[in-house]
Amino acid sequence: MIRAFLKRVFLVDLFEGLRVTFRNQKPKYIYTEQYPAQRPKVAERYRGAPRLNLNPETGEPLCIGCNLCALACPESLIVMTSIRDEKTKRKTMNTFLFDTSRCMFCGLCEEACPSDALELTQDFELATYTREGQIWDRKMMEEGPKPTRYKC
Amino acid sequence: MAEEKPLPPKPAPPKPPATMAVIPWQAELAARLKDRFGDRISELSSYLGQNFAIAQPEAIVEILEWLKSEGDFDYLVDITAVDWPKKPDRFELVYILYSFSRNERVRVKASIPEGFRPQSAAGVHLTANWLEREVFDMFGIEFSGHPDLRRILMPEDWQGYPLRKDYPILQQDEHWVHENVGIESGQ
Amino acid sequence: MPDATFLDSTELVLNMGPQHPSTHGVLRVILKLDGEKVLGTDCVIGYLHRGVEKIAENRTYVQFNPYVDRMDYVAAVSNSLGYCLAVEKLINVEAPPRAQTVRVILTELNRIASHLLWLGTHALDIGALTPVFYCFREREEILKIFENYCGARLTTHAFRIGGLQYELYEGFEQEVKAFCDMFLPKVAEYEELLTNNRIWVKRLQNIGILTAEECKQYGVTGPVLRAAGVRWDLRKAQPYCGYEKYDFLIPTRQNGDTYDRYLVRMEEMRQSVRIIRQAVEGIPDGPAIAKVPKVLKPPMGEAYVSIEAPKGELGYYIVSDGSTQPYRVRVRPPSFVNLQALDRMVRGALIADVVAVIGTLDIVLGEVDR
Repeated sequence: MIRAFLKRVFLVDLFEGLRVTFRNQKPKYIYTEQYPAQRPKVAERYRGAPRLNLNPETGEPLCIGCNLCALACPESLIVMTSIRDEKTKRKTMNTFLFDTSRCMFCGLCEEACPSDALELTQDFELATYTREGQIWDRKMMEEGPKPTRYKC
Repeated sequence: MAEEKPLPPKPAPPKPPATMAVIPWQAELAARLKDRFGDRISELSSYLGQNFAIAQPEAIVEILEWLKSEGDFDYLVDITAVDWPKKPDRFELVYILYSFSRNERVRVKASIPEGFRPQSAAGVHLTANWLEREVFDMFGIEFSGHPDLRRILMPEDWQGYPLRKDYPILQQDEHWVHENVGIESGQ
Repeated sequence: MPDATFLDSTELVLNMGPQHPSTHGVLRVILKLDGEKVLGTDCVIGYLHRGVEKIAENRTYVQFNPYVDRMDYVAAVSNSLGYCLAVEKLINVEAPPRAQTVRVILTELNRIASHLLWLGTHALDIGALTPVFYCFREREEILKIFENYCGARLTTHAFRIGGLQYELYEGFEQEVKAFCDMFLPKVAEYEELLTNNRIWVKRLQNIGILTAEECKQYGVTGPVLRAAGVRWDLRKAQPYCGYEKYDFLIPTRQNGDTYDRYLVRMEEMRQSVRIIRQAVEGIPDGPAIAKVPKVLKPPMGEAYVSIEAPKGELGYYIVSDGSTQPYRVRVRPPSFVNLQALDRMVRGALIADVVAVIGTLDIVLGEVDR
């Protein structure tokens, strides 16, 4: 009874809490990221901006125009056309449209791709000034987004 | 479908090619249910180890009451409906029950035609209140005797019942969207 | 004798939300008040309604998987697990042991993350500013593990029907173990901050009492039910994913008030760490995904599968008509059903208690509205 009274008078519970707070005040516990200056490193498996990979040796697109990514997409946001190459008699991708504004980065298109052509990369800066800018064509898909790099 | 036996006066529908491979539900509880309700339960089956009873819609609340007092199924997990527009009894109401003491689940199902007003189960299980409101909201099934039957997820003056099969995914209440959101279309 | 009409008060209707910070999203509660006393409430929900069940009918089984993450977005892994288990039940496939163990680890990590978010925001509602920073700091570690594992932090899409899509990355076990070692003292730290704090205790004790009988009547599950004294957890009652192999306790309390629910959730985090430690010790080798046909066509039938999500019983009732798309997917969301008990819990309480009770119910509006 007296104990409880004294605890109350001397604000014991308050100081117990404050002790925890001060324990966490060490300057080495700093978690702030200086984002535009220092870009965070995202995980290797991060699912970000889509990219159409090119064959590193020939520079030819790896895409074989099979349309599997478009079929796998839950949002049906990939629209592609393919033409048959007269020389090699192979199907090749002609146009490719990817609507990133509707994409939820689930990774199903990447999993469906049989030739590792479509890949969700580690780029995460996808903001554009217009809605139309969110729809990426083949050129954009091959080059990838070019976000502004800030010098600080 | 096997579990979709129509009520006796109706002609039997043509059997669809594929049916649910059910096995009879043989347990003490099933026998007691059959004893107690007789004709009003048309089927007691089990699929993938999950037991269900198909009953006449009029008897549902009575069955829930009986299961609660006699079978100790004191927790109404969920009420939902499935729309089968091609069947004579369009909607299938599904009540999922659980018993804490038996650690057992049972489903009670009933087929109802459009416009039929099943009795509300809110008097037996309080949780039925919102669950039935959702069924009303999504399927337009009105429960008679429900304390507060209003739309719950959709706006109150929305036209149409979104989870019906004749409501395509792109459909919306254009008038409502125009009035309240001020845009031509939500897509 | 004072004038009777002077004391006669009129009912006041107060609108709380949908942008109120303590409604945890877009919940709108219409309060009927007599002075500061709550006479009744009416929840207006649906602001976040996206028609997940309708979307499911227009997607294939595989395609619908990422959508379930977006219902309870703070516990996306649990949602995904429930859906995968339900479809696996329909096609009669069981995930290989390796996948099951990893699933257990990830869902338990997610349970901790969900409880941490709850603790931080709940404490913030009550007025304790500090815990939210600490909780988010620890939650960040869990999200980093998720990001390393599957590439996303919140809406993970970590599981696939039949098992796992991603193999474990190098150092997964060490990271999880390091998290467990780091995390247990942190729980004690939160308790140091809150459990005996006078304001915390006064604001929570005997507030929003829900007895075991009422819990069953309202279908309330999860920590709310356990705080009322019912020792019921689907992980023990109907084990899935090999939960029967792990040694853990179901924490319960007797009073069923807000303070007890807080204690139950704190203990649950400790038990989750216990499960993770056991699971991570023995991740079996073998395939990560069972053989599942590329085009998924479950036979005609239906199944109801439920799991213990951080908020309560999360059930999926799937009806298949034998085609590639589910005929009907019904989600039994724990938040939706639990929220219904709000009216019962706050009737007769004060306005400030409404904030505490909404916090203690641990609702996520994405799941309430679907």
